[in-house]
Amino acid sequence: MSHRISRRAWLTSVPALGGLLLTGCSRERFVPPRVRGGLIGAADVLTMSTNRLLQSSQPLAREYSRTDVADPFPTWNQTNPRNEEYQQHASEGFRNWRLPITGLVARPRELSLDEIRSLPARTQITAHVCEQGWSAIGEWTGAQLQRVLEAVGGVTPAARYVVIDTFDRWYESYDLFEVEHPQTILAYGLNGRDLPRGNGAPLRLRVERQCGYKNLKFLKSIQVVDSIARFGRGTGGTNSDFGFHWFAGV
Amino acid sequence: MDHASTAELPRPDTDTSTPVHSYNVRICHWVNVVACAYLLWSGVHIFLDFPELYWGHTGYRGYPAAFRLADWGLSWDAAGAFGDRRWGRNYHFTFAWVFLINGLIYVGWNLYSTHFRNQMLPARGELRLAHVLAEVRDHVRRRSRLHASGSYGTLQKTSYLILIFVFVPFMIATGLAQSPGLTAAMPALLDLFGGRQTARTLHTIGTVVFVLFVTVHVLEVAAAGFLTKVRSMITGK
Repeated sequence: MSHRISRRAWLTSVPALGGLLLTGCSRERFVPPRVRGGLIGAADVLTMSTNRLLQSSQPLAREYSRTDVADPFPTWNQTNPRNEEYQQHASEGFRNWRLPITGLVARPRELSLDEIRSLPARTQITAHVCEQGWSAIGEWTGAQLQRVLEAVGGVTPAARYVVIDTFDRWYESYDLFEVEHPQTILAYGLNGRDLPRGNGAPLRLRVERQCGYKNLKFLKSIQVVDSIARFGRGTGGTNSDFGFHWFAGV
Repeated sequence: MDHASTAELPRPDTDTSTPVHSYNVRICHWVNVVACAYLLWSGVHIFLDFPELYWGHTGYRGYPAAFRLADWGLSWDAAGAFGDRRWGRNYHFTFAWVFLINGLIYVGWNLYSTHFRNQMLPARGELRLAHVLAEVRDHVRRRSRLHASGSYGTLQKTSYLILIFVFVPFMIATGLAQSPGLTAAMPALLDLFGGRQTARTLHTIGTVVFVLFVTVHVLEVAAAGFLTKVRSMITGK
């Protein structure tokens, strides 16, 4: 009989542990915005919760030395969006490019590249980890996303996600835990030079603890929202709309 | 009666040493079969989508590779057309959790129930070279059925223990070392293997070792009487 009780204790301890993790914490830090059905959805929650629990002190992703850098940095997928507006900006050296920051921020407005460059810069030599399996190390320079949001008055208490749109017609959302991380930057420099077109000029996102597909290139706009339901198919990003993981920490 | 006495004798095509498997061993074994099948097949899909391997921290198309499937006759495009990494990633990470939770239940239960200590830890005498050699000799002559009923042989015990406590942790660690999220939280994973690409390469080599293990395991079961052994892993008898 004692065997039977301890077996039950064993089996119930797994969901109990999951419940413990979620109590008293904000849901969006541990659970994707839309949880898929079945076993895959359960695994998504376990994966994200485990990652976020282990990352609770916001540790930095490994920073490498300059000798590890890949230069030229490999390019992948879109290297030159065939978007008229983008081509216009590119032909003008992105002088007239503006980044609108709208939604749940105190003072929504557009920032020029020079304004973003005038914010305190962070340079980090980190690995770009593609979910396909390749990885390359680059020296990224940019403004922390948190500082950029502070430049427009900071997010309001209702804010839950930051949604980024790009000129190659991708969008992705990020919860505030990811946004607040010191290495989450809007990069305008790569390996000591301006960000090349093939790597996402004029500005790309670096989220160093997630796979390559969350590191959007060719940024077009930023919106701060309380829910991602009205974007795309409502899963929180182009990749997850296509059936990839929304949380790409693995 | 004649009937009863012949039933006592070992028959040439069956194995009278068939151990009686507990519920835990049986359920965990078959859950594990499903999880490993999905892990293997989804892993193959993930690999085929990027069929090159590298050493160190860096590896991308055009970077000096340790292994390129294209050198073995399957072009990048042909491999990529077959490899569905979306399906692969979704199922790999789902069944990694099934495998892990099932494995923890198996190990936890059998540490608690003393199955490991009583049935799987080799006795001191069993590890003597003479004993091991004798067992190998018997094994080659297919006389492993002469082992005392209900116990594993030394070779079996050792290979299962190495599989569970060395190989599985190795595969989990080389898998985790590829994750940008987990390596940020546990950078030691990167140093342990000398880089993300090395971890990916070792994870792939481990997959080949795993396939070899399963092949030998299934051949051994077949040699010992496939139907009897499979029935015993289902019914426990």
